[in-house]
Amino acid sequence: MPRFPRHLPAALLVTALLIGADLAADRTDDGADAGANALAHDIFRQLIEIDTTDSVGNVTTAAEAMAQRFLAAGFPAADVVVAGPEERKKNLVVRLRGTGKHPPVLLIGHLDVVEARREDWSTDPFQLIEMDGYFYGRGVLDMKSGDAIMATTLLRMKQEGYGGSRDIILALTADEEGGCCNGVEWLVKNHRPLIDAEFVLNHDGVVGYSITSEHGVPQQFALSATEKMYGDYQLTVTNRGGHSSLPRPDNAIYELAAGLLNIGRYSFPFELNAITRGYFERMATVSRGQTAADMRAVTRTPPDAEAIARLSRDPELSSMMRTTCVATRLEGGHANNALPQRARAVVNCRILPGHSKEEVRQDLVRVLNDPAITVRYVADDGAISDTAPEQRALPPSPLLPSMLEPLQSTVAAIWPGLPVVPFMNASATDGIYTRAAGLPTYGVAGIAVDRDDVRAHGRDERVRVTSFYRGNEFFYRYLKALTAQ
Amino acid sequence: MTGGTCARAVAAALLLAVVPGAEAAAPDAASASNALARELLAQLIAINTTDTPRGNVTTAAEAMAQRLRDAGFAAEDIQVLGPSERKKNLVVRLRGAASHKPVLLIGHLDVVEARREDWSTDPFQLVEKDGDFYGRGTLDMKGPDAIMLAALIRLKHEGWRPARDIILALTADEEGGGANGVEWLLEHHRPLVDAQFVLSGDDYSVLTENGRPLFFELVASEKVYADFQLRVTNKGGHSSEPVPDNAIYTLTRGLDRLAAHEFPFELNAVTREYYRRLSQIESPERAAVMRGILRDPPDQEALARLSQDAVDRSITRTTCVATRLEAGQANNALPQRAEAVVNCRILPGHAPEEVRQRLLQVLSDPAITVSYLASDGTLLDEAPAKGGFAPPPLLPEVLAPLDQLVAETWPGLKVIPAMSAGASDATHTSAAGLPTYTFSPLTIDPNDDREHGRDERIGVASYYQANEFFYRYLKRVTSR
Repeated sequence: MPRFPRHLPAALLVTALLIGADLAADRTDDGADAGANALAHDIFRQLIEIDTTDSVGNVTTAAEAMAQRFLAAGFPAADVVVAGPEERKKNLVVRLRGTGKHPPVLLIGHLDVVEARREDWSTDPFQLIEMDGYFYGRGVLDMKSGDAIMATTLLRMKQEGYGGSRDIILALTADEEGGCCNGVEWLVKNHRPLIDAEFVLNHDGVVGYSITSEHGVPQQFALSATEKMYGDYQLTVTNRGGHSSLPRPDNAIYELAAGLLNIGRYSFPFELNAITRGYFERMATVSRGQTAADMRAVTRTPPDAEAIARLSRDPELSSMMRTTCVATRLEGGHANNALPQRARAVVNCRILPGHSKEEVRQDLVRVLNDPAITVRYVADDGAISDTAPEQRALPPSPLLPSMLEPLQSTVAAIWPGLPVVPFMNASATDGIYTRAAGLPTYGVAGIAVDRDDVRAHGRDERVRVTSFYRGNEFFYRYLKALTAQ
Repeated sequence: MTGGTCARAVAAALLLAVVPGAEAAAPDAASASNALARELLAQLIAINTTDTPRGNVTTAAEAMAQRLRDAGFAAEDIQVLGPSERKKNLVVRLRGAASHKPVLLIGHLDVVEARREDWSTDPFQLVEKDGDFYGRGTLDMKGPDAIMLAALIRLKHEGWRPARDIILALTADEEGGGANGVEWLLEHHRPLVDAQFVLSGDDYSVLTENGRPLFFELVASEKVYADFQLRVTNKGGHSSEPVPDNAIYTLTRGLDRLAAHEFPFELNAVTREYYRRLSQIESPERAAVMRGILRDPPDQEALARLSQDAVDRSITRTTCVATRLEAGQANNALPQRAEAVVNCRILPGHAPEEVRQRLLQVLSDPAITVSYLASDGTLLDEAPAKGGFAPPPLLPEVLAPLDQLVAETWPGLKVIPAMSAGASDATHTSAAGLPTYTFSPLTIDPNDDREHGRDERIGVASYYQANEFFYRYLKRVTSR
């Protein structure tokens, strides 16, 4: 899942008033099929126990294990493909055939997980542990839970002999979290017919989930339909240095500090796109008071400047309205008793769809307003270049009714009153590759996580047991609805 | 030495160096002394005295002790002693009349590390090339050590009976290490090294520019070195949602304030004399500024102009400057921690804790903590409360012969008392209440100062000139 998770806006929601009492607690009696839950748990456990980290793990092992399940369930061998550019980084693509009335839907989920060290954790991160109502383990949120749910959905449908109005393709892939061989990118480039679809559902969601809850009570369902583009920039000031007993006004650290203060004070211009506009419109209906009014006011033309200023005080909302850049690292000097010959900072930017990395680099140069500070682009592999790529963040995916309507009805059936909110991820997912290939892509995961308990990439990663099972049931029902007509 | 001096000012004096004329001393004795000084230097350079497994200060101390015994010093006047097998010090005494308390000469035998692959020559061999001596320690400070030894041996050969005992201590661990010889001797063998005043050879004194001597620097006071760590912590978070409370911005706001801050102007006996003397040889314009700041109260316009010069600012004020930065744990995470090192050079009489308090005021942000960073790297909530030592009086018995001999050797060249911005072993003798003056009559262009660096060197002619100078000076200092 997104390498840089975000939380959903909190304090703005009036949940108690709008959401029925039946949402006040997780239930286990959703009408979920007990056999389906057992299967999901079985697959979940199997995936957690297979180490799929980039360092010592093996994604192929997980892909093969899942392939084995599909073959055993009666999928024809031709519809179960394990392929990849590297021995340890193979992807699984499996197809559940439908009537072909509509083009396929592609489900994507990454099998790889970020590193987890046993000594940092309370439990073994590569064992699925159920404790106090939670599943613990590396990937329980990001995103082996989603992988298990999607696999279960296909196996369950197969078992039922279900054939929908479109093929359902599932791709479980490598290297979303980093590494040589991003599976989605590789598949799009090398096996387009295998995964070609009308649109894509990415179970990575926000960061392995789509529902933000508070104390277990769902607040909103975020439908991710666009994402910001990630960009790192390196700021450098050099100086001839000298002995620290003779300080001079020209000082690399002070010049960098002054520049960073300009960055800290600067706010990129307000800008909405179709998705974020939808986000504020929808959120306005479930918020109250000044916040609700402000959300409406920022969607007007022209937007209300004071409303923008008020909403911008919330970092989560602010990031929905503009490109953001923030200093994340500093490094300077070589000895305590020497004037610094160099001072450096990393500025991390999240760029709105439609804007390019080079455009933002030039914005930074302008904001710094000091020719002594150079601004270079830092690529994902760490390579530094004087200018940034002209690459623009991809425009949002249109909210296709064939995707949206079944989603709204399924959500309403399981979580009555829960608003489905169009959402922009502030961080990158594998959706960048499918969107770049022209496939509308949506982050959809029926898993709920408390806004203050998102442990993706962290220690003791966990997900509520009830949330996992409900997410399992949701996804099955949603795919059924999606392929019903 | 562990720090540069403040008095690297480029004075505009147009002075010509002249080779000292033949004095009373026999030319034969002079050239014999030069030969000895060269031999001693070669021997010292060849003994690795780094604070590494390969280095051994005791070996150097023993070798020099043997030289002194061979020269006829009584065995009881030569001691090799120290707290560690590899870190022994040599203390030798040339006995004189007991009418005055002794003079103590100090020089450290240890050198900083030098790697063969970094150097053009073997750093542990004395190499003479194109008019220079190359080798680790030629400048810092086996050259001055050899000169002090050669002077003592020459005086012994002459049968010189000084008006006061001359004690020479060649010691360990000035450059670092856990067994500083001067400190140890003062603490454990005070009678052995007790003196009325101390002469340290741990600084070159004749500063040149484009080959022309500018002035003769006599270091009589030291600033106190102190490092402080500024630290801001934060709960961090995902960088996709920046929040106003950011450790890096908090720190940089503080550094911005620090950059604009200036510590108060202050003169002491040494720096006052420094400007008084410098104003006699400076350009009329600079001289007027110096006279202006010497007024009571100082002329504000002169003060403003003086403070534009980094050297002058460092002589007249405590300075603090940010020298290092470190923050953040990942490009894509809000920083949980941001740190800076601020290096201060504190005027004598002011305590590091006083400066820490001032930094807190200047930063004026409780989110920024300021800790004292001790030389061994440990962090302390508070800094030492004891201030640097007030400069000693400029004793006439030290200064008058120096003025005289400098004028004879380099006609027109002035002795300028100066304050060092770095710490040397003089810190220990000063702390023990012994007025300490640091000089070595070597001629160096500060732009070619290679101490602690690669291809460390001193001019051959300068070395012999310094050897002769020091002998004569020691004789004059102990003639009455």
